[in-house]
Amino acid sequence: MIVVPCPNCGPRNSSDLRNAGEVAPRPDPETASLTEWRSYLYLRENPAGWVTETWYCRSGCRRYFTIERNTATNEIRESENS
Amino acid sequence: MSELEFVSPVASGPLSAAGGGISLEDVSDRTKVLVRAGRDTAAGTHLKVTYGRSRRRRDGALICGSRPDEWTLLADPGQGTELLASLPDEGFVSVVDITHGRAMFRLSGLDTVGVLAKVCNIDLTDDMTPDGAVFSGSVAKVTCDLVRNDLADRRSYLVSCERSFGAYLFAAIADACSEFGIDVPADLTIH
Repeated sequence: MIVVPCPNCGPRNSSDLRNAGEVAPRPDPETASLTEWRSYLYLRENPAGWVTETWYCRSGCRRYFTIERNTATNEIRESENS
Repeated sequence: MSELEFVSPVASGPLSAAGGGISLEDVSDRTKVLVRAGRDTAAGTHLKVTYGRSRRRRDGALICGSRPDEWTLLADPGQGTELLASLPDEGFVSVVDITHGRAMFRLSGLDTVGVLAKVCNIDLTDDMTPDGAVFSGSVAKVTCDLVRNDLADRRSYLVSCERSFGAYLFAAIADACSEFGIDVPADLTIH
């Protein structure tokens, strides 16, 4: 079980939440090339280590928030509302 | 919506254990009003309850801080019009009578924690969810809003869910109560 600290609800079982994936900055739609759009939509770093992720608290406050999680150990060190 | 006759999704009457340790009652007919508003609006200031807490208003309505910037008001049956009229609507505010869209049950008695622990993963100890606490979670795999609303002499929870899950959830909670002395009617069995 992974315990994820929701900034509104407090620590919750990860089954109460949904992982929305790594945070990827959205490129400017006016100037982004096709390669940049493809990278934004489909490509992620997927490191074995620290990553900044978006999670959705589906059973609790129904808010999106970001956390820093170590994908190798599931250690979590920060969370804040998106 | 308030003028419509309310038809509960649950056909069964209240269930209780012989020793009085647990009782389960369908209270779906209670008026439920959902308010979404910023905390800096007149409605947010009027409601005053933070996320995760509840308080009783002078007119008897229970104000529940059900999510950040979202409140659920619970009152006696047929109070929808009065509740809607009692809320300031200046600014970016949404007020909706959801009485007919939600099922709600009252689970009360000494054994409530034991019953809920079978079907819900929330920590129900007094320091995490004291009287007046409002929280959400999975109850028998159904996403529910729960309010700890103790009665004069016993612990009590209000459990609400989408109306379409009401019949199943009532039967599932009744099934969890059977270990604590409730005789579940044959038409409520889920196995």
